Amino acid sequence: MALYEPDRSQYPAKKPDGTLDIDLTSGKYLKLWQGPQHPGITGNMSLELTVCGDEVVDCQTHVGYLHRGFEKLMERRTYIQCFPIVCRICVPEPDFNEYCYAAAVEELSGITAPRRADWIRTLILEMGRINSYMMYLGGQAGSLGMGVIGQWTTYVRDLMLDRFEELTGARIYHMFILPGGVRDGLPEGFEKRMEETLREIESTMKDVHEAMFCNAVFKKRAVGLGYIDPALIEPYGVTGPTARAAGVAKDVRKDFPYLVYPELDFEPVTGKDSDAFTRADVRRRDVLLSIDLLRQILAKMPHDGPLMAKIPNVLHWKVPRGETYIRAECSRGEYGYYIVADGSGYPRRVNVRGPSYTHAVALLERLIINVNIADVAGLMVSLHTYPPEIER
Amino acid sequence: MKIRDILSPFTVWKNLFRDPVTINDPVRERPGAPRYRGFHKNDVKKCIGCGTCETICQNGAIDMVPVDGIAAKEGDSGLRPRIDYGRCCWCALCVDVCMTKSLTMSNDYQWIDRDPDAFRFTPGVDKKKWDDAELGYTRPDAHRLTPEERIHMQELGPETRIGSFIEIVKGYSVDEARKEADRCVSCGLCVATCPAHMAIPDYIAAIRDGDYERGLKLLYDTNPLPEVCGRVCTHKCESVCAVKHEGDPIAIRWLKRHIADQVPLDKYRAIVGAAEPATGKKVAVVGAGPAGLSAAYYLARMGHAVEIFEALPAAGGMMRYGIPEYRLPYPDLDKDIAFVKELGVKITLNTRVGKDVTLDDLRKKFDALFISTGLHLGRSTKVPGADHPKVFQSIDLLRRVTLGEDIYCPEQAIVIGGGNVAMDIARTLARIQTKKYGKVGVTLLCLETEDIMPADREEIVESREEGVVLRPGYGPTRIDTDGDRVTGTRFVRCLSVFDENGRFAPRFDQSDEIAISGAMVVESIGQGMDLSYLPDDLQKQIVFERGRPKVDRHFRTSLPWLYAGGDIVQGPDVIHGIANGHAAAVGIDIYLRGKMEQ
Amino acid sequence: MRELYEQLKRLFPLGEYTEQRRDLAFVTVPKDHLRPLLIHLRDREGFTHLVLLTAVDWIEEGRFQLTYLMNDRAGKRDLGLRVLIPRDGAAMEGIHDLWPTAATYQRELREMFGIDFPGSPRVNGEFILEGWTGMPPYRRDFDTKKFSEENFNHRPGRATKDPAKHMKDKLYPDEA
Repeated sequence: MALYEPDRSQYPAKKPDGTLDIDLTSGKYLKLWQGPQHPGITGNMSLELTVCGDEVVDCQTHVGYLHRGFEKLMERRTYIQCFPIVCRICVPEPDFNEYCYAAAVEELSGITAPRRADWIRTLILEMGRINSYMMYLGGQAGSLGMGVIGQWTTYVRDLMLDRFEELTGARIYHMFILPGGVRDGLPEGFEKRMEETLREIESTMKDVHEAMFCNAVFKKRAVGLGYIDPALIEPYGVTGPTARAAGVAKDVRKDFPYLVYPELDFEPVTGKDSDAFTRADVRRRDVLLSIDLLRQILAKMPHDGPLMAKIPNVLHWKVPRGETYIRAECSRGEYGYYIVADGSGYPRRVNVRGPSYTHAVALLERLIINVNIADVAGLMVSLHTYPPEIER
Repeated sequence: MKIRDILSPFTVWKNLFRDPVTINDPVRERPGAPRYRGFHKNDVKKCIGCGTCETICQNGAIDMVPVDGIAAKEGDSGLRPRIDYGRCCWCALCVDVCMTKSLTMSNDYQWIDRDPDAFRFTPGVDKKKWDDAELGYTRPDAHRLTPEERIHMQELGPETRIGSFIEIVKGYSVDEARKEADRCVSCGLCVATCPAHMAIPDYIAAIRDGDYERGLKLLYDTNPLPEVCGRVCTHKCESVCAVKHEGDPIAIRWLKRHIADQVPLDKYRAIVGAAEPATGKKVAVVGAGPAGLSAAYYLARMGHAVEIFEALPAAGGMMRYGIPEYRLPYPDLDKDIAFVKELGVKITLNTRVGKDVTLDDLRKKFDALFISTGLHLGRSTKVPGADHPKVFQSIDLLRRVTLGEDIYCPEQAIVIGGGNVAMDIARTLARIQTKKYGKVGVTLLCLETEDIMPADREEIVESREEGVVLRPGYGPTRIDTDGDRVTGTRFVRCLSVFDENGRFAPRFDQSDEIAISGAMVVESIGQGMDLSYLPDDLQKQIVFERGRPKVDRHFRTSLPWLYAGGDIVQGPDVIHGIANGHAAAVGIDIYLRGKMEQ
Repeated sequence: MRELYEQLKRLFPLGEYTEQRRDLAFVTVPKDHLRPLLIHLRDREGFTHLVLLTAVDWIEEGRFQLTYLMNDRAGKRDLGLRVLIPRDGAAMEGIHDLWPTAATYQRELREMFGIDFPGSPRVNGEFILEGWTGMPPYRRDFDTKKFSEENFNHRPGRATKDPAKHMKDKLYPDEA
């Protein structure tokens, strides 16, 4: 089998300051823009690639195509008015925003959400995780040339959206977890329909395993692609499945247990090889873990009790001066909200820490060097980044 | 390379024999879930146009707009929310915060129109296909974004309070007041209903901010008797409070009292401000009740010299001589009056106009007159025996109690009447009886059944707690007397109080007669006015309407220099009196300034 | 967390300490001592993960607060370091050599708050805002409402009424 062998003689030399000596007029190099509209890019961002032959020698990421200034907008809205905005920071998995925001406001206000609300919050977060992974699996397979996987995962994701719809009243932006608790309890017969959905996902995951993970083409392209040295995990702020695939068992659910995770039985999924294939495999197994967690949650969850804490009148809710940080494990890593309150009815500062922020800029720019142009999309997707949480 | 990795992908082919999972006709076959947050619905009859939906909308998608066929009225602004779907994000905070639960969402989510402006409409007014949708998001009952329960007011228990005239209600602490003020949604629907149009949402906001100086200043803009009104106002504002629809109305009255209680009198002048420079004009006010004091206060603020003539030995009118001390302690009343005096108002006590000084004298000495002499004549039932000396008028007795007289009070007393004054005398007698005999023996009877008794609900509850026996739904027929003693009264059941036109026309069932024993009867069925101090020639010049002097919107009678207000114009109510006094002061000021320019 | 603070206090001149949770505290650090403290925390105390680096604009005090949130996964604790720098000519020493990912944060802070990090890679390049010439938009004195009103058109046909004012106009226009 013919393997791709890079020709190192064509490489640019390094200048004393470490940057590359690239002379675009020499004809040896080409500037290539991938994105912002490109099927292999996860969302609206673009990569400014400098290629030499088929190989990337330099890359600069460009974000900002989705910048809506959420953090700034929140400074002009009351605490309750921020609640409908935060979910928009991450489209495929919006619930972490709702949870982190709500928990941070609760903590600063000295409010404790009822236990039953915590169970429902955990349920929603795990449902969202599966949805996010379904998007990812479709994207990962698609970026390496397997369109059919995306069709399957989109189907089961849609089933999960149905569950979201009947539980929260909306499919994409659920706006269900608000400071103080959650809006409502489970609808009648939800557990049964959820079980059917979970079975369908399990069966799809079997197919995905057969077609994608036991697939010579996928292995050929993904194994060894985008290797992340475990030594880079901390300097580059890498979290979530990307870190776990490197053998670093970082999982906020275990490390800093929140909501009802202490009451659930699970072990973080890890891998060893730290390449695109391992990352995909860690995420595939994480889906199975989430399915298991959802079953545990539905079995253990209390069915009566309050869903909202006593909160002040939201129309003039003032939060005492203080600052806090709330984190949670989303499908891509550590998601967190840093909120500074100045005692008024408006947040002084809300900073959203999305895992894509560290993954898609500094880390990607490093990993992409020496990668074949055809693998850029696959590499990028393997980091599972969502641009809106980079630019907020 | 494993052979499995070559073969396994071919399992994809099994899907060739699978049915498609897509829905053929999603427009018809896929309704939204029962909780789906689709297009808005609004029950416009239930909606009160309070605008909290607009306030909470973070997208600025809601406008409050007037709607044909819905007029502004008490407790309803007449506005209805119009939603701009170009901005709506379907978060349903408007539904969650809706004060009446009128705003909901349907599960309909499909709507196609070529006109972009069609997506801006008033739910419930502009008819839409989803108006009758049964499914969709409504606020779950337990899901509240505004606290619905009133902060409990500490009060004395019945056993404690019956032994004395100490004030029953303790007033909110700063923390309690802030929590109660927090419940207010600042819609302002109450302002129109308050006779004085007090800036209620603003002074409640001042409590939230802990800024009592701002609060007091706002109170004095429209009401110079906040300590009084904070205790005994009929609080019509609370009856239209938006929060009452899905919870307890805001305790507006107690909050007002809280502000006044927090600020010591010696700070008032610095906060509220001193009077304007003197105009040199003089105004006489007859009667130092709420209307008279209010008129005097605002006239003094405007720089006019004001003198009040009061027949009784202390100022306050009904607030002092009608309302018992357990509802309105005299020191609090005195605090309000003291600030009126501090502004330069002169109060001449023990001076009855018509006897100690004539109205003509006043007319000569002053540039304008304001009469507010109130309703101090009790009405009699005129049943046989009602003229007996042991049959009393509640208003006389209450006055005598305040004056410190030792009134006749046997072990068993009968009160006739179902209003607040009847409750006042019944509960006053109960206190005197407790002191004298150690037990309560008061029976109160009235024509109205309990559900339509004019007295405040809390008066009914509290008087029962104190041991007063209530027998609503009876009318007196005869008072039994035996020489100089009253032995009891006979009553028949009252079938209805009003006729079909709502006029007072009681019907009785003569066969259902009861006899209540008691050595004293107190009649408390209403009061009349005594205008005998007005000379005959003036009486002829003043136009009366249904027994009351007719006034214009500035409370001017048919005589240009004579203004009238308070109970004699508007019927018994403190806050109306205050509002009248203020309006009259504005009118008198215009009149006097007109004269100054001439 | 208190113990750690007491320990650090012996080595560094630390300012205000706030314990927000059992596992989260914030401490104010003088600008010049941030770097040695970060290295100490990273190498000696296990705070190897830079969770975030952001700024808070305390415009009334004329200062920016830079927050370096450090995480010690093994010790299950977080420490936020607050560095207060003057708003005028705001600049701070970069930490991109300690955590390469910090370069991204520093680029963003430069663009959004106008805080300079001399020497940080591409710190003056455009990050999110392309062709932006105005004031750094995350500063408190940048008015988003004004910006949108100047740059975007309002759809005609919107008008609203205040309930209380509307009731006054309809029910008692003549009264005070």
